[in-house]
Amino acid sequence: MDEKRNALFTAGMLAAILLVFLIADLFHGDRVYSEMENRLLTKRPELSRETFLTGEFMEAYEEYLTDQFVGRDKWVGLKTRMDILSGKKDINGVYLGRDDYLIEQHPAEMFSRQEEVKKAVQLRKLVEEWDARVMLVPTADNILTDKMPSHGACYDETRLLQEVREQVGERSYIDVYSVLWEHKDEEIYYRTDHHWTSRGAYYGYLAWTKETHSFLYPYNVDNMTTVSENFRGTLHSKVPVVGTRDIIQIFPETELRKVSVTYDFGRAATSFYEPGHLDTKNQYAYFLDDNHAFIEIETDYKTDRTLFLIKDSYANSMIPLLQPHYSRIYVLDPRYYNGSVSELMKQYEPEGGMDVLVLYNCVHFMEDFRY
Amino acid sequence: MVFSSVLFLFRFLPIFLICYFMVPQRMKNVILFLGSLVFYAWGEPVYVFLMLFSTVLDYSLGRLIDINRKNGSAKVFLGMSILVNVMILGFFKYADFLLQTVNGVFGTQIPLLGLPLPIGISFYTFQTMSYTIDVYRGEAKVQKNLLDFGVFVTMFPQLIAGPIVKYRQVQNDLHRRSVDVCRISEGAKRFVAGLAKKVLIANNMGELWKLVSGMESQSMSMLTAWMGILSFAFQIYFDFSGYSDMAIGLGTMFGFTFPENFNYPYISASVTEFWRRWHITLGSWFREYVYIPLGGNRKGLGRQILNILIVWMLTGIWHGAGFHFLFWGLWFALFLILEKLFFGRVLDALPKFMGRCYTWLVVLFGWVFFALETPGAIRGYLRAMFGMSGASLMDQQGLFLGREYLVLFLVAAIASTPLIKGLIQKLGSAGTGYSIALYRLGEKVIPPVLLLLSVAYVVDASYNPFLYFRF
Repeated sequence: MDEKRNALFTAGMLAAILLVFLIADLFHGDRVYSEMENRLLTKRPELSRETFLTGEFMEAYEEYLTDQFVGRDKWVGLKTRMDILSGKKDINGVYLGRDDYLIEQHPAEMFSRQEEVKKAVQLRKLVEEWDARVMLVPTADNILTDKMPSHGACYDETRLLQEVREQVGERSYIDVYSVLWEHKDEEIYYRTDHHWTSRGAYYGYLAWTKETHSFLYPYNVDNMTTVSENFRGTLHSKVPVVGTRDIIQIFPETELRKVSVTYDFGRAATSFYEPGHLDTKNQYAYFLDDNHAFIEIETDYKTDRTLFLIKDSYANSMIPLLQPHYSRIYVLDPRYYNGSVSELMKQYEPEGGMDVLVLYNCVHFMEDFRY
Repeated sequence: MVFSSVLFLFRFLPIFLICYFMVPQRMKNVILFLGSLVFYAWGEPVYVFLMLFSTVLDYSLGRLIDINRKNGSAKVFLGMSILVNVMILGFFKYADFLLQTVNGVFGTQIPLLGLPLPIGISFYTFQTMSYTIDVYRGEAKVQKNLLDFGVFVTMFPQLIAGPIVKYRQVQNDLHRRSVDVCRISEGAKRFVAGLAKKVLIANNMGELWKLVSGMESQSMSMLTAWMGILSFAFQIYFDFSGYSDMAIGLGTMFGFTFPENFNYPYISASVTEFWRRWHITLGSWFREYVYIPLGGNRKGLGRQILNILIVWMLTGIWHGAGFHFLFWGLWFALFLILEKLFFGRVLDALPKFMGRCYTWLVVLFGWVFFALETPGAIRGYLRAMFGMSGASLMDQQGLFLGREYLVLFLVAAIASTPLIKGLIQKLGSAGTGYSIALYRLGEKVIPPVLLLLSVAYVVDASYNPFLYFRF
């Protein structure tokens, strides 16, 4: 009798699980987009004679059921937790590093030597034509080596940096790697996002002033303003179960003077910062309103000098620090600009010439830089 | 439709179970037959008719064999059944392979057919052949009810991946079977265990194997190569035996007793033993319908060796149309023959542990031939395993992967032995209150937990996050 009761219990539990989720799923509406996975979910496929006979419909329908299954985010979270529990340090292309650091993975052979040389030669052309300066920022896996999981592979960016240094020459090469390495124990990268922090950007600025022999504006790294304490960045999206939150800080000195920022020849703003984004998932967009093809900045510093900056999103948090040095800063992100980079530069070059700076992280540089 | 999918677990299975258990006894086969057709047609909307044709044909030939038993033409009808089944299998599975081989040898340009392989065809043709042969031999009663026979052929639990059920093993169940709550619970637990084996172990092992088999073997360290093939060994075992567990479990729930298909093959101390524990129903099919009719071991040693070679060539090629499968079969034939000749006696004299190591090595190298398709890939991988690829003994990547998968390897290793089964039996049969309480608790908690965890991995299977989003 006891045995029968137990059997009934087990069978009943299992049947209940199937039935409860079947019914819940039937009453569960479809979503277009999963914020947690940061992707579009499959829509209900259309049934037709052909798609039925080829089996395409059935395949698409199964994908649709799986994507729209009730509680999908919870299931995915449970799976990720199980993976972490089983000792995995590589979740969806992100390393679970020490001290709660999530570190974006770049495979060791991500770019070949030839690809690096090709990009460096392109860069050299720009440098020779414009006497440009080059800042390539290593990604977190190359600097936070103490935080990396044991034996975790990474794309070694020093080979690229060495190649670039040789191609563009000492005068144009700004050594960001060394200064970040020196401060690797400080909070220079976010824990949940692939960008550097404002402190990291400050050390980049330090290297820039040193190697361009510019004066050093006295930003106080010990007196930064916190604008958010609940930032969860792009890496968190790939490992959405860790509880870590980042804080976003800025240098209050950057807000002392008026500034006018024009995005993509249209909308104008009076600050480098866009607090509206702090209420969204993508809080790094606080800096210069996320990604734009072209930004024109008029500062209140009458230096009468102009900077033309070719960059990726890493630059967004460093640009405010450059304002005391320039009256005008033009910011170009070639990913979003279809025209010729050199034409645009010629168009914006003032009578007295301008400084040109290339600022990327190493991986984005390899992927997105063009000239 | 596969068992480890949202569609099966949360649509087909619950709806089918409700229908099946609601209808009266005489309607159960109707539901089982219709449900199986839906199940098969979902994946094969066209080839479902091929399966029905095969069903009707073997049903009719079975009747004809029975009617003409006295007048000698029964043999003709048996011949027809075997011929048609082998031709169907040959046409869909091996035609392109043969054409390719002919083109390769004679330099001809015969265009390939490019037909997709009908799911489960290797399984159901073997099942229907077992029927007509057994009816001819008088070992099974002829089935006069087309529906009951249709249920035997198309029954969805074992339709697409076995176990290969011989007709006489279920002939009584087809007509009359009873279930009670204990059987249903046993079957459900077995199903969940199989699902967990497939989803939690095999699929994750598969990820490691996919990674390793995608690497260049020239730069692969020895550590990575061995870990890779080990992951494949575990993947194929837990995948296949998990599927068999699910099939047997479902069968149990419906009142059928299907034959066991795996019996902890990785603890075998000889290759002979391995094949008694691995894919048992296929081995027993070939033994009964090929090896023994060829004379087995009754016609002298030379003939026995030839028979072993024939059976293992067929076993190899049964797994797929490719020379590497043929080679894989012959690889095992070699060790089976050696063990027959003298090596078996050597193994008996050695400690069991050494026999296990030897068997593991034979099986692991076997999986290299099985998993990799071209001679070049096989050679490259073997070189890496022997440390001849020029890469190091172990590298950062190998060490990293080893750490990533350590827990999974441990779980798989333990689950490959009868340890857990023994523990459960010991707890369950213990008289003391403490053990039995633990057993009762485990029985209540573990199956639902395994089911929920498996569902998480099934749902996550379509999670492919963008690799390079960064805004």
